[in-house]
Amino acid sequence: MNFSRIFHNLNYVVSAVLFLMGLYTVAVKPNLIKKLMGLNIMETAVFLFIVSTGMVKGGYAPIVEKGVKASEMVNPIPQALILTGIVVAVSTTAVALALCIKIHERFGTLDASKIPGKEEI
Amino acid sequence: MSVSSFPILLTAIPLSFAALCPIWGMWKKEACFPWSVAGVSATAFISWALVSKFSAVGTIGYKVGGWAPPWGIHIRIDFIGMLLAVVISSAGLLILIYSWRYIVHEVEEAKIPYYYTLYLLIFAAMLGFSITGDLFNLFVFMEIFSITSYALVAVSGEGKALRAAFKYLLMGAVSSITVLFSIAFLYSVIGSLNMLDISKRLPNTPYVVVVNTALALFTAAFAVKAAVFPVHMWLPDAHSIAPSPISAILSALVIKMGVLGIFRVVFTIYGHGFPSTSNLWSSLCGFVSWAAAFSIVIGSSMAIIQRELKVMIAYSSVAHIGYILLGICMLAPRGMTGGIFNIVAHAMGKACFFLVAGSLIYKHNMKRIRELRGIGRTMPVTAGAFAIASLSIVGLPPSAGFMAKWYLLWGCFQKGRYVFVAMVLLGSLLSAIYCFRVVYYMFFTGPRLHTQKVDEVPPSMYVPAALLSLGTLVLGIYSTPLISAINKFVGSLPVK
Amino acid sequence: MKWKKFAVVASLSVLGLLLAYAIGEMPSFGSKNTPDKLHVIPRYLQKSEEEAGAKNIITGVILNYRGYDTEGEVTVIFSALCAVVALLGREKRRLSRSGVDAAGKPTSVIVNTVVRFLVPIILFFAVYVMLHGEDSPGGGFQGGAVVGASIIIFTLAFGLPKSTEKIPLGFRIPLESIAVFAFLSMGFLGMLFGVNFLTFILPGLSHELAHTVRFLMLSFIEVGIGVAGGIIFTSIVFSMIREDEYELQPDLSQS
Repeated sequence: MNFSRIFHNLNYVVSAVLFLMGLYTVAVKPNLIKKLMGLNIMETAVFLFIVSTGMVKGGYAPIVEKGVKASEMVNPIPQALILTGIVVAVSTTAVALALCIKIHERFGTLDASKIPGKEEI
Repeated sequence: MSVSSFPILLTAIPLSFAALCPIWGMWKKEACFPWSVAGVSATAFISWALVSKFSAVGTIGYKVGGWAPPWGIHIRIDFIGMLLAVVISSAGLLILIYSWRYIVHEVEEAKIPYYYTLYLLIFAAMLGFSITGDLFNLFVFMEIFSITSYALVAVSGEGKALRAAFKYLLMGAVSSITVLFSIAFLYSVIGSLNMLDISKRLPNTPYVVVVNTALALFTAAFAVKAAVFPVHMWLPDAHSIAPSPISAILSALVIKMGVLGIFRVVFTIYGHGFPSTSNLWSSLCGFVSWAAAFSIVIGSSMAIIQRELKVMIAYSSVAHIGYILLGICMLAPRGMTGGIFNIVAHAMGKACFFLVAGSLIYKHNMKRIRELRGIGRTMPVTAGAFAIASLSIVGLPPSAGFMAKWYLLWGCFQKGRYVFVAMVLLGSLLSAIYCFRVVYYMFFTGPRLHTQKVDEVPPSMYVPAALLSLGTLVLGIYSTPLISAINKFVGSLPVK
Repeated sequence: MKWKKFAVVASLSVLGLLLAYAIGEMPSFGSKNTPDKLHVIPRYLQKSEEEAGAKNIITGVILNYRGYDTEGEVTVIFSALCAVVALLGREKRRLSRSGVDAAGKPTSVIVNTVVRFLVPIILFFAVYVMLHGEDSPGGGFQGGAVVGASIIIFTLAFGLPKSTEKIPLGFRIPLESIAVFAFLSMGFLGMLFGVNFLTFILPGLSHELAHTVRFLMLSFIEVGIGVAGGIIFTSIVFSMIREDEYELQPDLSQS
């Protein structure tokens, strides 16, 4: 393992840490809304990661303008990909919140440990 | 529009029908069913038309937007994509026809147009997932069928269904994010999203560690979607509590998408040239095949102790995903044939099982296995369909399930993996117990009165179940064309 | 419970080590000569304006090179809408109050006035973002999100009944469907002309005319995505609002 490289890729490290934090929240917190927050943290971590990979030091936004050479632009693909990724994240969150509303109507709680059932969610 | 544009129509037609379905629902709720049948049958026709083209020319490609592959999105129908497209569109049509009468029981009237819209969306997304040749497009279609299936599990609004759907959503969303993460890893060091292009560039990459991490994350994430043993917890809840047509489509088709995801990553992307530069590939295959073998044993034994019919069938799905993945990841040519053949056999058998379970709920509200006494005499077609399909699920000749297990065992012997032979045989024995217990209750218990009248569900419900169960028999008897086609396909894969 | 936490932490640290190992081998942040910037991208960067008809290369990629993904993206929002409606149903329209917030309290005059003043400006900005996606940051989906936000602000201030009066259900359902279908219809238009799905340069037209038609088609798609996004988010929020529940519960803050 190359530690100096890890220090250099701080964006990637932060996104990995955020990813793990989100996963921990999803797995451990009993509150369903907190679990959803965990999911969104994980999603944000991945978006940060993808956008960081497209970065070019001193690069320009990929919009054709006079005086900006094509070789100096950042990679446009990751940005296009996370736009779709964000929409997917929003949609998943919307469905999850709708489920939470239904669960709250039905059981009167959002605590996973209080929702009757065989094992925990 | 000629045959050359058929690949895109496989997704574009059901998506268009889905987009316009709510308008019909606004006008008249009853109009949604014929509308979606029209969309699904047009798609089924197109997929069968593509089969004839496929058998003539082999792999079919289509450039969306006219862009050449690494730059644009390329639809690429290879053998397994074609096979799954045909299975999805045919089984999807039968299950849709079944759900017409059934769904009125479980879903509020105001929500019925959205039920059909979601059905068309999940149908289109699965087709898009199987035929795409682009990694990110794979992710997009995976999300569409995931989101729709979370909602379809909970569409009845029962408390247990909501709970199961939320659990499914959490695990599914985590696996989706992991897929996106691994796409990011792979893209950042390969620079392409086209699967064939990636597989060409993989052997020369200097970033072997990153690429290996992406492989491991991909496999783990798709394993959640496929519900392999350590991460199968969501499946029994979600599949048993969903409305029965949805259980059928989830168990028969949606979990196969997880298997297809593993197949795409392990063979289509990483399979060519990469294995020689890394030994993670083969050890990962070994790991997945162990997980699959454990899902066979654990799924089958959990199925035995269940009292409710649908929960039992759901656990049986865990076991069958095990058979399929064991065949695919054991890296034996015959085993691969058995695994791929079992995708078709299990899709038909399991869809039939869930449709029969749904008919029993529809007619008599029977959920427990003990309540099924004498059903064989009052509902002969439904119970007969179950009995025939259970031959295939257990794996007895002359059904399709037998051929699948035969080739799977052949593969185990080819590789000399006798532990797997024992586990597959144990799983089959257990499945014989849990299937024939139900058949026994249906046909050999209960009052033996000749005065009992036949009291069947409507034909739109028993005909799809009967067709699916006959399909397992026909496929078992005339298996040669499909087996030889699969063998030919397996010959092009890196398995020896 | 404790053992579960322990197991989670243990498996997360294994995953963390794996990720750290991979990140240590990644090409360093911001470097120019990594494979992802050398293989597919140069063509986008150099030819997007001419080939895809967008100065903003991201828009060119989204709408043209990878338009099929964006079609999937619109379908994802649409399936989220269908999922939410299949779970919760459409909004209930039996309440008809205005001037009170969701909890039944009268809303503040300041909030109402500010919102009344702001919403048209936000909508204007949304249309700008939507239509200028091809040469500046922005695009259909971003504009649609802004539209949705403005309607949500309006609903927060004036209550659900008033905003459903402005955009009634009978107007939203067809609009959602048609906006989602707009993208597909542009794809089919290309197929009618005999080129592949989602091709925007139609054959049989002169160079100038083909480029104008492409501009119109891309703008149509942008507006379609925008309208779909805006109206679908509005509908999702509307069907999530539960006004009548608050009425049933006694106000706990006063007791």
